[in-house]
Amino acid sequence: MTGEASKAQDIFQDTLREAAFLVANREPPADRHWFFREARWRCLDVVAHGVQPEHGANESTEVSPRAPEQIEQLEPEQLAIWISAAPEPQRSALALYYLDEFNYREMMSMLGLKLTDLSRAIASGRREFQAWLNTTVPAAASE
Amino acid sequence: MKRLSRGLRTLADCAPIANAKAPDRRMRTAVSRAKRTEDFAAQQSFDRAVAKLVQATPVSTEIQEWFANERMAEGAKRSWKKTALHPAILAIGIALVVIAVVAWITFDEQMHAFPGTATAKKLLNVAAMTRPSEFEPMETEAGTLNDLFFMKYRLEHYDVPPGFSQQRTIGVRVFDDDEAGQVAQISLAEKRMQLFLFPARRDSKSGKPEEFEGWRYVDQDRWTGVVAERNGVCFMAAVRGGEKDLAPYIKKPKE
Repeated sequence: MTGEASKAQDIFQDTLREAAFLVANREPPADRHWFFREARWRCLDVVAHGVQPEHGANESTEVSPRAPEQIEQLEPEQLAIWISAAPEPQRSALALYYLDEFNYREMMSMLGLKLTDLSRAIASGRREFQAWLNTTVPAAASE
Repeated sequence: MKRLSRGLRTLADCAPIANAKAPDRRMRTAVSRAKRTEDFAAQQSFDRAVAKLVQATPVSTEIQEWFANERMAEGAKRSWKKTALHPAILAIGIALVVIAVVAWITFDEQMHAFPGTATAKKLLNVAAMTRPSEFEPMETEAGTLNDLFFMKYRLEHYDVPPGFSQQRTIGVRVFDDDEAGQVAQISLAEKRMQLFLFPARRDSKSGKPEEFEGWRYVDQDRWTGVVAERNGVCFMAAVRGGEKDLAPYIKKPKE
C-alpha cells in the first residue's frame, strides 16, 4: 500500500496502538476488519502526504496463460511497489484481494465499493499488471 | 469469459483465489460457469501466482513477534454486560420478563381462586358503587341480622361470622343478582366496611354447593374482600383498602 516497509511498519504499530487505546477506553474494535480498515486509512493518509506517482493511462493486456512463469521471476518488493503506485481504490482493492483472506463482500464493506467498482478495479489491475509484466519480464512473456 | 453474462463476469473477476468456498450462491454459480471458459483458468493461475508472491513478502522479525499470538487480531469478544445491553437482547429480555410476570400473576390467581371468585369480585364492584341512601337504615349488631334475613326474606344460614358479628351496622339491603342470586348487603360503621352474604356456587352436575376451607382474599379496583363459605352460603367482608385492613377480623386466616 505504501511501497515502503518502514512506513508500513509505522502504520501497523499506529493501528495497534489505536486498538489498544480503544480497548483501554472499553470500546474494543468490533471485528478484525477494523484493523484493515484503520490501517488502510492510515496508508492513504501517509501516501497522500508523500511523493505521488504519476497516474497516466496504463497499458493493459489480457492475462496470459504464461503469467505464472513471469510472476515467479519477480521479487515480492517489485509487486509491492507496483501495487503501491496504482491509483485508489484500485491499490486497496488489489492489496486486499491478493492477501487472499477476504471474500468479495468483506472487501466491498472494507473499501466502501460497489461490486461493479471492485470487480473493475481488480480486473483492470490484472490486465495492467500483465502489461507491466510483459515489459519487465519480456523473455518469459514471449510465447 | 466472453460467454458469461455481465453480472456473472463481474463476480468471476472477484472470485476466491484459493479453493476456498465461495461466500454465497451467486458467486458459486459465477465460478461454476466461469470454469468452463479458458480465460478463467488463466485468471486463476495468474491470481494464485500473485497471491503466492504476496505470501512470500518478507516480514520483519519485529512484526512477526507481534503476531506470535495469532489470536491477537481476533475481534474483541463482547463482554456479557455489553451483550446484555444490546437493544435486541434487551427487548427480548424485557418481553420474557413481562411474559413471566403475566404467567406468574395468572398462576397466582389460579392458586388463590375459589368457587365464587367471579361473584365476589362482582360484589366488590357493587360495594364500591352502592350509595348510603340505598341501604335501609338499621342500627344493630351485625350478628343479629340472621333472624331478619330468615324471617323477612326466608334466607337460611345467612349468618355473620363471629369475627364480624359484634360490629355495629348502619344499613341493610337485600337484592337479587342475576349470577349471585339473593344477596344480603350490610353497611358497617367501622371503616365503612360492607358485609355480603350470598349463595355459594353450586356444582352444575350434582347441584350441591361447592365448599372451600378457610378465608380467601379477593381484590378488585382498590377494594379487598375476604370470603368464607359455610352451609352453602358465602360471607364476604369488603373494605376499600388492602388485606391488612381485614386481617385483624380473621382469627385464623388461611390461604
